[in-house]
Amino acid sequence: MLIVENVRKVYRVKEKGSWLRQQWKEVEAVSDVSFRMVPGKIIGLLGINGAGKTTTIKMCSTLLSPTSGTITVDGYDAVKEDRFVKAKVNMIAGGERMLYWRLTGRENLHYFGSLYGLHGGALRSRIDSLLLQVGLLDAADTPVERYSKGMKQRLQIARGLINDPSYLFLDEPTLGLDAPIARQLRKHVKELAVAHGKAILLTSHYIHEVEELCDEVYIIDKGKLVAHDTPAQLTQSLNLETALHVVIPALSASLDLDLQKLAVRYGGSREIAETDEHTWEVTLRGQTDMTTPLLSLLAAHQSPVLRLHTQQPSLEDVILHMADRRGA
Amino acid sequence: MKQLTALLWAEIQKEHRHSFHSKMVYFSLLIWPAIMFVTAYYSFAPFRTGADSPLARFLSAEQLPLFLLTGYLGYIFFWCLVQSAWQMSFERQAGTMEMIFISPVNRLAFLYGRSLSSLVEGVWLFFCFTLLALLFVGGMHPSGWWAIPLAFFVLLVSAIVWGGFLSVLFLFSRDASFLYTVLDEPMLIFSGVRLPPLAFPLWAKAISFCFPLTYALQLVRGLLMEGAPLSALAPELALLASVLLLLVLVTVVLLKKAEKHMKETGNMVMY
Repeated sequence: MLIVENVRKVYRVKEKGSWLRQQWKEVEAVSDVSFRMVPGKIIGLLGINGAGKTTTIKMCSTLLSPTSGTITVDGYDAVKEDRFVKAKVNMIAGGERMLYWRLTGRENLHYFGSLYGLHGGALRSRIDSLLLQVGLLDAADTPVERYSKGMKQRLQIARGLINDPSYLFLDEPTLGLDAPIARQLRKHVKELAVAHGKAILLTSHYIHEVEELCDEVYIIDKGKLVAHDTPAQLTQSLNLETALHVVIPALSASLDLDLQKLAVRYGGSREIAETDEHTWEVTLRGQTDMTTPLLSLLAAHQSPVLRLHTQQPSLEDVILHMADRRGA
Repeated sequence: MKQLTALLWAEIQKEHRHSFHSKMVYFSLLIWPAIMFVTAYYSFAPFRTGADSPLARFLSAEQLPLFLLTGYLGYIFFWCLVQSAWQMSFERQAGTMEMIFISPVNRLAFLYGRSLSSLVEGVWLFFCFTLLALLFVGGMHPSGWWAIPLAFFVLLVSAIVWGGFLSVLFLFSRDASFLYTVLDEPMLIFSGVRLPPLAFPLWAKAISFCFPLTYALQLVRGLLMEGAPLSALAPELALLASVLLLLVLVTVVLLKKAEKHMKETGNMVMY
């Protein structure tokens, strides 16, 4: 298990000053963050830019040392016993960096594998298996500079798995990828956790990705953890409004009045708009589901229903809500 | 040991594919030092180099081509490593340095492996050229058949240790490229590549003994030009070994400090 306890990271940043007299200021990138990574589970770290997600990942992967607090990986301290920790972790970042472009995919994996002490037949079969896993076997001997963005990202995944890490950190892994390739990668990430028992920490700006993949989500804002739960519980716990959209062919004055009363009774609000097709779209917003009373009301007014759908609050709404609340 | 060999081989392959990908690179690695050597040789032409010249106290006119050839051969060994260390900025920009430091690879093995691969790729062509030139020029007085491989070994080890030291300096800061200016030209001037350090004034002699190339060249010239027996060269060999050992110790200490510094400041990704 990877345990992060009360971790804080402070950077000393040089401020403008003269040649002889330089001024420094301290910037707290991460403040008192604690969480756990468990085999077979994917956890999400969400927050707006500069929240401290990447700094947290880099501390967990031993690239940065925390100013205070502890990170242990299967009992090893990530600072004092980093040699043991490094063998168990790896990181995959989005974008096209972190690879040698003039080398082929196979050569890249061979080089990075040798950094982990792999060699000979064991390394060769590991490379073949990973290339097959990420669908790059046919392009294995092509220089990376000729790869598409999606191929480079898949090679990044293979590189991140070269040491068969127990703990994998994915920092925006689908950044800039086309939808079908991103979907394929998400499927692969899920498999890594479910079928291979990897503990995965994911940061992403694509909220639906986090909702789809993560068992638990940690929301981080200005370096502090502000919420932690399952994606579904997080959206429920904040009591955000559900929007109920219904399209009807005609709107009488009495129906309009009854819709207004219904919204008030459930502590919500009502919006009405005429559509281009000369029908009416009624939107009821509230913390309680008003589908049943709405349908009863429309039946009582003998109003046919052309379309009906419910819009649940998303994780994105949760983050925006929290950012607004903390900014206020 | 197998792991270390595998790492060295992987490093050599990576450097070969990454930095020595074109025939033109090898061509430039031959032509540029050869031009430097020819320029240096003909720079002496307008001056007196005979028995009554100031240089004659330290070097005879007949020895000048050999002196310059061995000097430039040694310089190219060390220069390749300055270049290689400078290339660390590429690793920073490409983000590959993070991927190296996230792994448990032995840092010292990585640094020296990197130096070795750059060196072998960078000098083999000029080394062959120099050997042919030495045979063509004549006048060599090697201490024995073993003098040439020993001279090569001395240059190889000295340059690798120097390269490891420089690479660590480049790990500290993205702005370490100024070292290229600070170290490269003074090394050429003061290490006895073109002039014997003994001919220098005292202040210049002091600078010359800061560069391991000075000690390495003394030894190489003793082996190839003066035909000195190994026993006579033992003090110089011991001096070079001490300097290199000191440099390795400084490299180890600085390497630990550099990694700690990178982990504290996060400057590994700054470029």
